[in-house]
Amino acid sequence: MMRTGVTISSIGHAAILAWSVLTFAAKPNEAKPIAAMPVDIISASELSQMTAGARTAAKVETPMPLVDKIGEVKPPDDPIAKVAATEIKAATDVPPVPAVKPPTPAQKTPAESKRDLIAEALKKEAAKKPEPKKAEAKAPAPPTQQPQPQPKFDPRKVEALLDKRVPQRLAATGDTLNSVPSLGTPSTMAAQLSQSELDGLRARLAQLWNPPAGASNPDELVVLVRIQLGPDGRLSAPPMVLSRGQSPLYIAARDGAVRAVFRGQPFDMLRLEHYDQWKDIEITFDPRDMIRG
Amino acid sequence: MIALGAGAAVGVLAGLSSRSAHAVLRLDVTQGNVQQLPIALPDFVGVGLPDPGAARGVTQIIAANLQRSGLFAPIDPAAYIEKISNIDTQPRFPDWRAINAQALVTGKLSRMQDGRLGADFHLWDVFAGQRLDGKQYQTPPDNWRRVAHIISDAIYERLTGEMGYFDSRIVFVDESGPKERRVKRLAIMDQDGANVKYLTRGDDLVLTPRFSPKTQEITYMSYGPGSPRVFLFNIETGQREIVGNFPGMTFAPRFSPDGQRVIMSLQQGGNANIFVMDLRSKATTRLTDTAAIDTSPSYAPDGGRICFESDRGGRQQIYVMAAAGGAAQRVSFGEGSYSTPVWSPRGDAIAFTRQYQGRFSIGTMRPDGSGERILTEGFHNEGPTWSPNGRVLMFFRDPGGNAGPTLHTVDVTGRNEQRVPTPSYASDPAWSPLLS
Repeated sequence: MMRTGVTISSIGHAAILAWSVLTFAAKPNEAKPIAAMPVDIISASELSQMTAGARTAAKVETPMPLVDKIGEVKPPDDPIAKVAATEIKAATDVPPVPAVKPPTPAQKTPAESKRDLIAEALKKEAAKKPEPKKAEAKAPAPPTQQPQPQPKFDPRKVEALLDKRVPQRLAATGDTLNSVPSLGTPSTMAAQLSQSELDGLRARLAQLWNPPAGASNPDELVVLVRIQLGPDGRLSAPPMVLSRGQSPLYIAARDGAVRAVFRGQPFDMLRLEHYDQWKDIEITFDPRDMIRG
Repeated sequence: MIALGAGAAVGVLAGLSSRSAHAVLRLDVTQGNVQQLPIALPDFVGVGLPDPGAARGVTQIIAANLQRSGLFAPIDPAAYIEKISNIDTQPRFPDWRAINAQALVTGKLSRMQDGRLGADFHLWDVFAGQRLDGKQYQTPPDNWRRVAHIISDAIYERLTGEMGYFDSRIVFVDESGPKERRVKRLAIMDQDGANVKYLTRGDDLVLTPRFSPKTQEITYMSYGPGSPRVFLFNIETGQREIVGNFPGMTFAPRFSPDGQRVIMSLQQGGNANIFVMDLRSKATTRLTDTAAIDTSPSYAPDGGRICFESDRGGRQQIYVMAAAGGAAQRVSFGEGSYSTPVWSPRGDAIAFTRQYQGRFSIGTMRPDGSGERILTEGFHNEGPTWSPNGRVLMFFRDPGGNAGPTLHTVDVTGRNEQRVPTPSYASDPAWSPLLS
């Protein structure tokens, strides 16, 4: 008897042990490879420079976007109108507060209290003025337009939601011409030269520029050159030297900078769609860091 | 090869111009690529020359000078596409761009009616398609090497913006014979090692020759009959005279920047002090009065200060004081001992010999002692002397053993070191000012 019990117990323990070994075995913690996402790290000043207008422009009362040419004037599309209105069938399909004002907690509270109502009652309520009195007290300027019923998302009509406007890449468009850049428009510049294009231009010039080595007075070696480029990336006119100097050192530095510009063409790293931005470039060749360092 | 310091530039500012309605892209390029400038030097055109090889010789001297400076890379003539036969027409720039020449020198060497040589050259910027410089020279026929040096200086000055140094000479101590019986003669040669002439016969030991910055005179120390003395020697006339009449040994002489005075050390007992003597009035002024060895004085180019070495602090170090004497300030604080300070003709640096752990280095520091930089190091390097433009140092190097010293140059960046050819062993070089 004793022997049978030991055997059963042994088999039972062994079974439990085997099961637990298989079940609780540590699974290797495999990290799935993640596709790297290329990220351009930009500084705060670059961000503000991209989102703002010109740094040196005068501040205007009401910022206007920079407009190079008059585009097609049409009122902004109402994305909601394109989708057929459908019946609201679930209590959760609460019509949103009009998008003009961000919803405040005070606006949400009454809506939530009415969640218990049946859908028909909710629809009637929504057809009325959506702002309860509580919200009116908090929001000084309630929107006047009637909120439209929120349509149900229909996956078969996704294409109706797509923006079919022709992209305007070459010029900033708008309804009125405004050639004066203003400080602080909220939109980004229409077509910003990419950082890689600028880096490529700078790297090309740095590679070809042979600054005077071991000069005793590096301050007089700073050269400012203005170049005008054709769409093919070649100089459309001889470079203009904007800095001035008389000393032999300056003259040698000036010729070296101009030589680098000549040798660098064609500047094929600059893309044609940004031509408006790189057709006219002012380049400062400044060897002071190199010589002192 | 220099090719260093490549790298992407830092700092870009792209913005809209506030001045004009349309945008100007702004770009800062703050890092360049220091490299040798590729220069094409086709043979000068020879016209009516008694020696048809002279035109090519001039070209080769110019190419060798520019190459030795470390700032230029003459292009192999085999690569040239255009053959220059007339220097009065514009060269075909695309042909020179194709071989990546950035500068081009065309020239002509002709025999003039009066028998003299006429030399013309044009310096072209190949990529800008412009003439940068051009000059004409006339010279006696046996002076053609010097014309080549003068043209080299003109090219160097136009392309680097700094004064040239090729039209200059070196005086040095020529050492011949076995090591235990070395004959030391004073000799002079062009800076490229050509035209060696001996100034003394080798009867007396000569040391530390120094060029006058203004005249064709040198001062040196020699063991004549009696105790060692400082001498003055006129290269043109061969005339020799003793500087001053001092009771003890005088040594380590050097001219003042105006060439009117000689500053030197006078040994009195176990120590040495610095004296200056006016060469015209023979008036002598004592500048230091210490119980130490003060020697190797050298004037700043403006004549306002002098630097010298002294062991007053226990070990040889470099001191700077006013040219009229007074309190001296120690400027060398590195490890080891510092000697033979020489003030740069540019005024911005003092060259020195440093001895540390049995090795000798040549280096430079600013006159306040900052920015110390060792340019070359080895078993024995000593006696730096500046090129007239303050860009290159010449010194002598002794490898030890049975071999003797040789002359070398190194530029102030320390990247370009060259051996200077001499007929036999050579030491104590001194660079002349520019001849013209």
